[in-house]
Amino acid sequence: MKFNLRQCMAAGVMAALASFSSTGMAQEKVVKFGFPQDFTVVYTFVTAEYSQGQRDYLSLVNERGGIRGYKFSAEIVDHGSSVPRGIEAYERFKREGVVLIDPLSTPVARALVPRAMADKMNLIMAYSGRSDAADGSAFPYVMPLSTNYWSQAASLIEYISRQEKNDLKGKRIAFVYIDSGYGREPLPVLQELAKRKGFELQAFPYTSPGNDQSAAWSNVRRFKPDWSIIWGAGAGQVVSIKEAVRNGIPTDRIASVAWLSESEMNVVGNDAAKGILKMEVVAGGREPKVIADIMKEVVGRGKGAGKNEIVGTTYYNMGVAMATLMVEGVRLALEKNPNAAPTAESVNEGLRSITKFTAEGLLPAVTISKTDHQGGGQSRVAQWDGKRWVARSDWFAADQDIVWQLIKASSEEFKKTGK
Amino acid sequence: MFYRAAGIRHTRYESDRRLWRLPFDRWLVGLVLLLLLAAPFVVNSLYLGTYMLPWLVWATATLGLNLLMGGAGQVHLGYGAVMAIGAYGSVHLARAGLPFELVLLAAGFLSAAIGVVFGAAALRVKGLYLAISTLAMQYLVDFVIIHVPAISGGTQATLQVPKITFFGMRVVSDIDNYYLALFVCALVTLFMLNVRRSSFGRALAAVREKDYAAEIIGVSTFRYKLLAFWVSSFIGGVVGCLFAFCYYKAVTPEQFHLELSIQLLAAVIVGGLGSVLGSFFGAALILLAPVILNNAIGAVSRAFSLNVSADIAAHAPLMLYGALIVGFLLFEPLGLAKIYNNVRNYFVVWPFRHARK
Repeated sequence: MKFNLRQCMAAGVMAALASFSSTGMAQEKVVKFGFPQDFTVVYTFVTAEYSQGQRDYLSLVNERGGIRGYKFSAEIVDHGSSVPRGIEAYERFKREGVVLIDPLSTPVARALVPRAMADKMNLIMAYSGRSDAADGSAFPYVMPLSTNYWSQAASLIEYISRQEKNDLKGKRIAFVYIDSGYGREPLPVLQELAKRKGFELQAFPYTSPGNDQSAAWSNVRRFKPDWSIIWGAGAGQVVSIKEAVRNGIPTDRIASVAWLSESEMNVVGNDAAKGILKMEVVAGGREPKVIADIMKEVVGRGKGAGKNEIVGTTYYNMGVAMATLMVEGVRLALEKNPNAAPTAESVNEGLRSITKFTAEGLLPAVTISKTDHQGGGQSRVAQWDGKRWVARSDWFAADQDIVWQLIKASSEEFKKTGK
Repeated sequence: MFYRAAGIRHTRYESDRRLWRLPFDRWLVGLVLLLLLAAPFVVNSLYLGTYMLPWLVWATATLGLNLLMGGAGQVHLGYGAVMAIGAYGSVHLARAGLPFELVLLAAGFLSAAIGVVFGAAALRVKGLYLAISTLAMQYLVDFVIIHVPAISGGTQATLQVPKITFFGMRVVSDIDNYYLALFVCALVTLFMLNVRRSSFGRALAAVREKDYAAEIIGVSTFRYKLLAFWVSSFIGGVVGCLFAFCYYKAVTPEQFHLELSIQLLAAVIVGGLGSVLGSFFGAALILLAPVILNNAIGAVSRAFSLNVSADIAAHAPLMLYGALIVGFLLFEPLGLAKIYNNVRNYFVVWPFRHARK
């Protein structure tokens, strides 16, 4: 049977019309989330897995009938960490009626702050962006909803201090970081803690993107640190660990920021860096109930958004956790106004009244309020055992007074000049 | 037929030297200008604020770089840094209370002052070597901005832009910003159109073609190379200020990294070296094509309910974008402006092709 061009075209047009009309007919109550994210340029190490987690969780909620009859839809577009593309996506999604926007990119998120504040649109700044947005009184519409870098640094030192029987006097701690705003961010916390606890802190920057860190690490070796903290992302983390091992630094004395996942450990070599520590802001693995439910009800039914083996990895779970918080915000908004469709403003109210929310064991107890958008600043330490990350502590927050001092100082500055 | 060149005789020098010698071209330019002025009332606010506005700003930046690259033949890989100086300088000056009209100029002077220092490298080196020394400028400026909190704005490295008025008018909405950008863009465009007819422009052209030959005929290459950098950096600084105040409204170091310099370089080359019109085409292609392709592929996959993975949906536009750039340059190495020119030349004599010179 042969088709000519005209028949093919006609069939194509018919199919297009059919799909348009079918989407038009299904008049469901839908809450839209805008996920313009970077799938292609800078954040490639996290975005695909993170986004898969977000979509799988929304599928889970939808499979269960949604929330009070509302289903969730994820609007996804790539912005390549480019600010103009991020702004375009933001403006487009805003007009399409999304209730929140999660750009997952520090440059884009920072540039969207003035717009989000003016438009009263929820700007999710999860695991990135401005740490001072934890101050909800200065940033009513900017939502980190996650333990920021200052809190992570404070908790790392607290964990190290516990390992040294609460005596860090005279200990040497090396801080090896990518020389960017993100890498330098924890420095004030570490310096203040060094003063308080009496350890010797030395900072070793390496240039972005961190493909070559040999100079930094030979200096670290000469410094003979008791502990090393690594602060980078993506390929830079892999290089850090490889260089540390090459310079004979014991792996169980290296602790990382939360940006370290299974995929990076696979690149390092699963057994090469056994014992390495990292901050965990979201529980890893498939054990948390939400992840198990996704395995059964979404992935098990062939409705997963990506490869099955990704489910339960670090960044996937971070995506799921963020989606649970968003949905919880919408749930609370609907609880308050059951008859009105959720809007950015009502969801903002909802997000800011999340109380002791753990997502059934996926998160530490998160409480977001009108003043605290960070949610308590809790995290825990996990260790790589060669196959997976094993939790080594309970959820805890440390030295939040220093963290809040920094948050306040920076947000005051914003209030003063952000008009 | 369309252009009706027949019967138009330029009997006076003024008419012979006009920018657009054919009435049709003048009507066309007038029409485009009218459309640009009317855009806020015709175009959807989404397209005005996120397509037209950045396009005007990018096009103005491309014009500034084009003066240096197309006009004077000097490569610049650090134009993003020049704009960064303008952007940061202007935000700090505006915060200090300087009125915006002066801020705009001061941003230009500041960029020009620093830009000309790096331009001095052009007195010694040429071509690829100049490219590398201007690249050094990019990294130096990036480094200084990131490492001096007083410039970058503290731990969060973000500067919020203060509200401004321009000659008594408040600049708040996208429409206000659009008109401000259009105003500056029009000024720079007028300058660029006329510079080629001035002694300055001819001196630059002489330097571009062969710098020691220019020296021999009495054009001081020292002076004109530095002047070229000065003027181009001035425009860069002014555009940096526009970037900050009209479009981004919050300044962070990442906005002015090497990617921006490369984008502008690409816009100049794809648009057409030395062409004013080409700068607008080039900026449109480089800036807007990724967004449009991305949205188009998203729309197609939704319309046909294709189950495209997020990864492919994100990378396919990039491949198309690359293909588009390569395709245009293969089709016409002299850039988009040349394609326009070819079309125009065809229609100038259409339908009497044999009359073409």
